[in-house]
Amino acid sequence: MSAIAVAKKDFRDAVRSRTLLALTALFGLFTVSGAYLASWAAEVLDGGAETTLDLIIALQTPAGYLVPIIALVVSYAAIAGERESGSLKFLLGLPHSRRDVVVGKILGRTGVVGVSILVGFAVGLIGLFAFVGSVLLVDYLGFTLVTLLFGLVYVCIGVGLSSMTRSTTKAAIGAFGLIVFFWFAWSILVQLLLYAVEGQFLLEEFPDWYVTLLSLSPDAAYGSALGAVLGESGLTMSGMYGSTDELPLAARPWFGFVVLGVWALVPLVIGILRFESIDL
Amino acid sequence: MTKRFGDELALEGLDLTVREGEVYGFLGPNGAGKSTTINLLLDFIRPTAGGVTVFGRDAQEGSLEIRERTGILPEGIELYDRLTGRQHVEFAIESKAADDDADELLSRVGIADAADKKAGGYSKGMAQRLTLATALVGEPDLLILDEPSTGLDPNGAREMREIIREENRRGATVFFSSHVLGQVEAICDRVGILRDGELIAEDTIAGLEDAVPDRTRLRVRLDRIPEDSAAALSAVESIDGVSEVEAEGTTLVVSVADEAKTTVLRTIEEYDVTVEDFETDESSLEDLFVAYTAEEREVAP
Repeated sequence: MSAIAVAKKDFRDAVRSRTLLALTALFGLFTVSGAYLASWAAEVLDGGAETTLDLIIALQTPAGYLVPIIALVVSYAAIAGERESGSLKFLLGLPHSRRDVVVGKILGRTGVVGVSILVGFAVGLIGLFAFVGSVLLVDYLGFTLVTLLFGLVYVCIGVGLSSMTRSTTKAAIGAFGLIVFFWFAWSILVQLLLYAVEGQFLLEEFPDWYVTLLSLSPDAAYGSALGAVLGESGLTMSGMYGSTDELPLAARPWFGFVVLGVWALVPLVIGILRFESIDL
Repeated sequence: MTKRFGDELALEGLDLTVREGEVYGFLGPNGAGKSTTINLLLDFIRPTAGGVTVFGRDAQEGSLEIRERTGILPEGIELYDRLTGRQHVEFAIESKAADDDADELLSRVGIADAADKKAGGYSKGMAQRLTLATALVGEPDLLILDEPSTGLDPNGAREMREIIREENRRGATVFFSSHVLGQVEAICDRVGILRDGELIAEDTIAGLEDAVPDRTRLRVRLDRIPEDSAAALSAVESIDGVSEVEAEGTTLVVSVADEAKTTVLRTIEEYDVTVEDFETDESSLEDLFVAYTAEEREVAP
């Protein structure tokens, strides 16, 4: 399998990056702080230990912010950087198809992001044991798997972006723009649209299209998918906008996986098609 | 084939054939379109018009099969800074599903002792050698080398030529580009000369040498400058077959037809000096190259 050979090589190369080391350390710091906050919350809310809320506080918030950053930083230069430097000619001088290169890059960089996530979460786990005392291990495992999927999605977005340009600067601007877009612009735009349609921001009951649009960003989908796995609705759309049965399809927890799948596949397919057609 | 980058015409109606088993030298000044041609062969870029065939397969459709049987040394090598030399070769071996020994290849190109060093710390010449090692993986039927002697010292360039010869003897066809004539002259069976995206000459080395008049540049080193140097110079100049004489201290550089060489030497010695050394620098190909690629080309009568 040619893509696997590319992925292995790419993993070996990219995992040695210093930026990754720094981001992983930052991630670990966040999860440990999260674990501390979780123990504090457990006392205040008197919920006691062993709630999935601990995990959400300790892990989801840091992961929700840092996994997209780590994944995009790790992947934005995956192809553009090699095109810029010329090492892509070494890679494609060997018998790899361009599709194998894109797929291999995604697998390799996901591996790298995966290592970072596992390290960050392991630090968080230690923190939870230290501050809270005990952890629901099954939920923790589910959390980890969904977060790995979340990392894969952003790697697909980053590599897809990277395959469209020869300039790492452009790819970096694109990656940074996407983070800003998903963090802020998305919900602001949807809010504005709501205001344009309804004439106000606060409603008794939000229209389905509004909830649907809010549910379609990869970050919201990550929350939904976590909710589906943990059976916890605290941070999903259903938690905020009503019970599961009344929600539009896109906002239901399990649909988060569909949304994540689309966010992975669309950039992947566009990236492959684009990369197959260009002059290096 | 023709290749255009936007408005810029990189290759115009290029038509060349490399025969199986030969060493083909692709000559031209920088920017003539040599790398563009190689990039088209490897499907790194696509032709604007026309097509490329390698091993009887279309370069675009059959690119994967072509690259399975080809060893490539691209221009301006960039490697993976964070991977070692051995990891590069191992990656090539895995990619080609070959069973070569990485260390054997590394020692063949002379960098066995740097096998575990990261390529980021390699000199240009070492990077060139490492890339050659990866190109040799899997005993390729075709070697495509873009300016292979870049970054190599004369010794390295000689070793590179030796490896090219060995590979050719094994049965590999070699296609390599260069702007250094000595490289091409030493090992090529045939040569194509490219200028401004057009193939302006294609022939065997011998054929190309025939195409220019038999001129040799004779360098004669004397023990001292003759007393009547002006008379000596004009005497040499007046010899039938001598077209140009230049004095550089005690060395005389004479452009001369082959059959007049001994007359030149005899004439010089008549001026009470001793010829300490002389060499014929038969760079007729170089003259040819200049003649073909110079902008104001003078056609010999």
